[in-house]
Amino acid sequence: MKIIRELFHRECEHLTRRHFLKQGSLGLGAAALSYLTGCHTSLLEDHSDKSFLGTPKLVPKAKRIIFLHMAGAPSQLDLFDYKPLLHQLDGKPCPESLLKGKRFAFITGIPEMLGPQFRFSQYGASGSWVSELLPHFTEVVDDVLFMKAMHTEEFNHAPAQLFMHTGSPRLGRPSFGSWVNYGLGSENENLPGFVVLVSGNSQPSGGKSLWGSGFLPSVYQGVEFRSKGDPVLYVSNPEGIRRNVRRVVTDAINKINESAYQEVGDPEILTRMAQYEMAFKMQMSVPEATDIGDEPEYIHKMYGTDPGKLSFANNCLLARRLAERNVRFIQLYHRGWDSHGSNDFENLHGGFVQRCAEIDQPMTALVKDLKQRGMLEDTLVVWGGEFGRTPMQENRQGNTNPFKGRDHHGNAFTMWMTGAGVKTGITYGETDEIGYDGINSRIHIHDLQATLLNRLGLDHEKLTYPFQGRDFRLTDVHGRVVNDIIT
Amino acid sequence: MTCHGGIRQKGGLSFLFRESALDSLTSGDFAIVPGSANKSTVIERINERDPELRMPPEGSPLDPNEISILTNWIKQGAQWQDHWAYVAPNPSLEPPELSEKKGKRDLDKFVLNRLRAEGLTLSEEASKPTLLRRVSLDLIGLPPPESLANKFLDDASEDAFENLVDSLLASLHFGERWASFWLDLARYADSQGYQKDNLRPTMWMYRDWVIDAFNQDMPFDSFTIYQLAGDLLTRPNEDQLLATAFHRNTMSNDEGGTDDEEFRVAAVLDRVNTTYEVWQGTTMGCVQCHSHPYDPIRHEEYYRAYALFNNTQDRDHTSDEPKMELLSSPQRTLKTDYWKQIELLRETGDTIGKTYEEMVNAFMAINPLKVPVMRELPLDSSRTSHVFVRGNWLVHGEEVQPGVPEALGQPQSRHPTDRLELAQWLVHSKNPLTGRVMVNRFWEQLFGRGLVETLEDFGSQGSVPIHQELLDWLAIQFSDEHRWSVKSLLKQIVMSATYRQTSKISPQLYQMDPYNTLLARGPRVRLSAEQIRDQALSVSGLLNGRVYGPSVMPPQPEGVWNVIRHVKGWQTSFEPENQNRRAIYTFWRRVSPYPSMISFDATSRELCVSRRIRTNTPLQAFVTLNDPVFFGAAQSLATRMLENSDDVLNQISFGFQQTLFREPTHLELETMQSLFRHSLDLYGDTPIEVSKITDGIGEESPSMAALINIASAILNLDETITKG
Repeated sequence: MKIIRELFHRECEHLTRRHFLKQGSLGLGAAALSYLTGCHTSLLEDHSDKSFLGTPKLVPKAKRIIFLHMAGAPSQLDLFDYKPLLHQLDGKPCPESLLKGKRFAFITGIPEMLGPQFRFSQYGASGSWVSELLPHFTEVVDDVLFMKAMHTEEFNHAPAQLFMHTGSPRLGRPSFGSWVNYGLGSENENLPGFVVLVSGNSQPSGGKSLWGSGFLPSVYQGVEFRSKGDPVLYVSNPEGIRRNVRRVVTDAINKINESAYQEVGDPEILTRMAQYEMAFKMQMSVPEATDIGDEPEYIHKMYGTDPGKLSFANNCLLARRLAERNVRFIQLYHRGWDSHGSNDFENLHGGFVQRCAEIDQPMTALVKDLKQRGMLEDTLVVWGGEFGRTPMQENRQGNTNPFKGRDHHGNAFTMWMTGAGVKTGITYGETDEIGYDGINSRIHIHDLQATLLNRLGLDHEKLTYPFQGRDFRLTDVHGRVVNDIIT
Repeated sequence: MTCHGGIRQKGGLSFLFRESALDSLTSGDFAIVPGSANKSTVIERINERDPELRMPPEGSPLDPNEISILTNWIKQGAQWQDHWAYVAPNPSLEPPELSEKKGKRDLDKFVLNRLRAEGLTLSEEASKPTLLRRVSLDLIGLPPPESLANKFLDDASEDAFENLVDSLLASLHFGERWASFWLDLARYADSQGYQKDNLRPTMWMYRDWVIDAFNQDMPFDSFTIYQLAGDLLTRPNEDQLLATAFHRNTMSNDEGGTDDEEFRVAAVLDRVNTTYEVWQGTTMGCVQCHSHPYDPIRHEEYYRAYALFNNTQDRDHTSDEPKMELLSSPQRTLKTDYWKQIELLRETGDTIGKTYEEMVNAFMAINPLKVPVMRELPLDSSRTSHVFVRGNWLVHGEEVQPGVPEALGQPQSRHPTDRLELAQWLVHSKNPLTGRVMVNRFWEQLFGRGLVETLEDFGSQGSVPIHQELLDWLAIQFSDEHRWSVKSLLKQIVMSATYRQTSKISPQLYQMDPYNTLLARGPRVRLSAEQIRDQALSVSGLLNGRVYGPSVMPPQPEGVWNVIRHVKGWQTSFEPENQNRRAIYTFWRRVSPYPSMISFDATSRELCVSRRIRTNTPLQAFVTLNDPVFFGAAQSLATRMLENSDDVLNQISFGFQQTLFREPTHLELETMQSLFRHSLDLYGDTPIEVSKITDGIGEESPSMAALINIASAILNLDETITKG
């Protein structure tokens, strides 16, 4: 298998170069693209007989994914998974049966139960439960699919985030967006196929490995669009070099490179020339794509955006703009959800309320905006944290924390999805009466990954890459497509 | 193998080992009965007419020729031949006799012999400037120092190239270049990895050990033994202990609620995988969960290998204990200086004054650094090792004793019982893999592609070498002829005509051999991340060539390191001279490696990586055009061009000389001259742009602005980014 993959890649490179040679001129986006995105889709199609893994591709329902990751893990029990019984149990000691054989990040001894901290009501034709912290979101509940019995084995942030985005809790595996671009290639010649947008007080715990390409070629890694400074590192020319100067410099470099190609005959030179052209184009397309200032006023109102600021709202609007430009995988991280109750930032009645206020309007606007543009037809939006929170109040080292808060909890948590190829207006999965465990229709992280890949037309068992003697995949040796939730 | 291998054994049949292939099937029949094709089910099934029953199950049936080969093989006794890489190379292998082509070296005879079979021959020798730059970038990772360059270019004698090679091998920069290569394998970094990725501020002592080992030309067998088991030697010295930090480059996890034992186990598994990948080109990752799907390595053998590493004191503690205490060499020098002065004062009896007290205090204030190293548990508390069922560390299977996989050859009569014996076995003359695997790595560093392309996998799924005899012969040369001297091996390779060929490709040759596996031309490879930075600093005159010392933090854009709140931010090295050190001294944080390095395919160093996959992306152009390091290099090179001459043609020519060690061609000169004129036009009306681009370099003029753009273009030429 490994050799076949390798050969295929070689072949692909080889073909691209030949394609390039035939054209014999400069600045060919399509040929350049092969190196930015692996192999261009049209080339893949040309060779469909020995396509990726020798099996027919699935019919894709979605072309792209926008993944809104709430880093730090928001409390499902205070947002979506309403458990009235917890009101009655509030302040009572946790039954031993829930603690036996369990490992928690911080809870030790016997913690007390913690009731829902906010008022819940039902909304929409679907009657979905949402707490008072997300008033805007209640308007779109009929457009989304709630998955209430998500589960994961990991109970610390970095491993759990890595698990969500690379399929493994350890560092070093390719991320979701990398796999997708490796599998499908990019549809935009002037932008990276995998873009990452980060907001909140710092980057997510899992660090840049969350969008790394692991052992896949580095062209597939996520490119972080930064909110301050250059949106892409070093995309701006140094002070004193204007675009017209950069043009003549690029022309000179490529003219000499072309003569070098005539002299030594190495096709790699042609690729390099194309990349310099592409870089020149990206210097236009990246600032153009990232400048939300040209959006009309009503859009800014809808999202609650404030151009030039670092915010989740700006990133949501940016996500829509990137989706319009056919960026394949758009990954947002919003950090600051780790509500342990150890200080006011981690207080359910403090930082948590603020986080909700930061995301409520923009994520709702994103759903509405995509819908009004008809883009939910081929875009998938996914929302969630890396795990959930306990129905118990956290007691660090046996002492109850000063503020209301909950510990990490992987057994059961809520995520939602909307868009291409998924059922909407329903709730899938159910937890027990205190929200501690999923009791039916549970979805494991690997299942979610398998399902999302399936919507993109990729078979999670066939999307593999050989490394250290093994064929690796996003879902490791697990995962099943959850047929109940797809259309 | 997919159906009848180590994981799936359909019908109870596995072809991995002879005994399993000859064993009875689920049906009770035998697939292979040596000497009797009639009784062998295999033969029956490949001759089967019913496509439902015929093997192989998909595609067309085997052709009659293939069937007759298999039938005859069984008739003749079904002898099992081991995979080529598991059979030790023949020590008496001689280069083929070639009548013509006098003057070629032994190495070239292997290549020529193969080329001749294809109707090809070696290409002519590369031009002197190309060769000069190639061999210098290869041996010291930098363009040649001016003196060496001039000497070589002016020297028409036969020995000119050999003298150049000898000088480069003797340079202290040699160790830096080859340490860069080794550190990817050692997964060296200045941080612990995982969520917090706390810093390891003393790990650079190990990095310096590696640089020094290459500079001293430490024989590779000692190099191996010290790193894997220096602590187990009888009365090991400080250097031998420090070397064991090799396996302390594993990550440690310091998060709330994590089980230290889980991550201790993860570190030990990583040591097994890394050791086997680095020295044996064998992928052990699969065998952690089940028998190897393609190679004859059994599940329990993995845990025998594991047992060899399972007895050290480290336990995934935040402190990274156990550590050794030692003085760095500047500390040692300083301490010795103070001591000498103290003694002097004592001799003169001057021990009451303030000076004496200050000296003593200064002497005492120099505390040794504490570096994580390997240390074995005492015998009475040693751990027992078990198979982990399906790779799950919580589910213990049967107990295992230390050992090595049988397929990879056996050390004399018994298995190694500790790391020292393992290391000795790895460099034993009967080990079939170490020599080949290492020679192949060095070859790849020079040619851009290994003789076995899959550096990390010499197993049945790895690629088969086209020049296997050459590989075998070089492996024997390395251990026997050169007595594991890396410098001698490298010299032998770079002196060959094969290495010295031009890298020009004719369309016919490209058609025939696009990846140069036959070696009918010289290497042409994009430079590594480290070489690209080092070269730009070097040719522009900015490089601080200081060797050894703590890791430094050259400038990087604000916010890049804003990854994790637990660790203090990137603190740009204050001293300007530390901003322009070679790439190998750049602080390497696993969650956020230096941006320009990552753009050029450096790894995060979380795990051992044998091959950096070379990419060619637009983000790389952003780095070499716009990263302040490279823009600064362009400014500095332009300043030197200006200082060199008043005439623009001479200035351009000087820029080419500095960077590529040759005169520009007519077309290059013309192109750059026209770039100069265009730039002058563009800057003529924009004095503000002129003052911005020339900021901080003293000369503010449109022609200076134009020269900076020319210098930047030279630094971005394909030829500059590439080793031709």
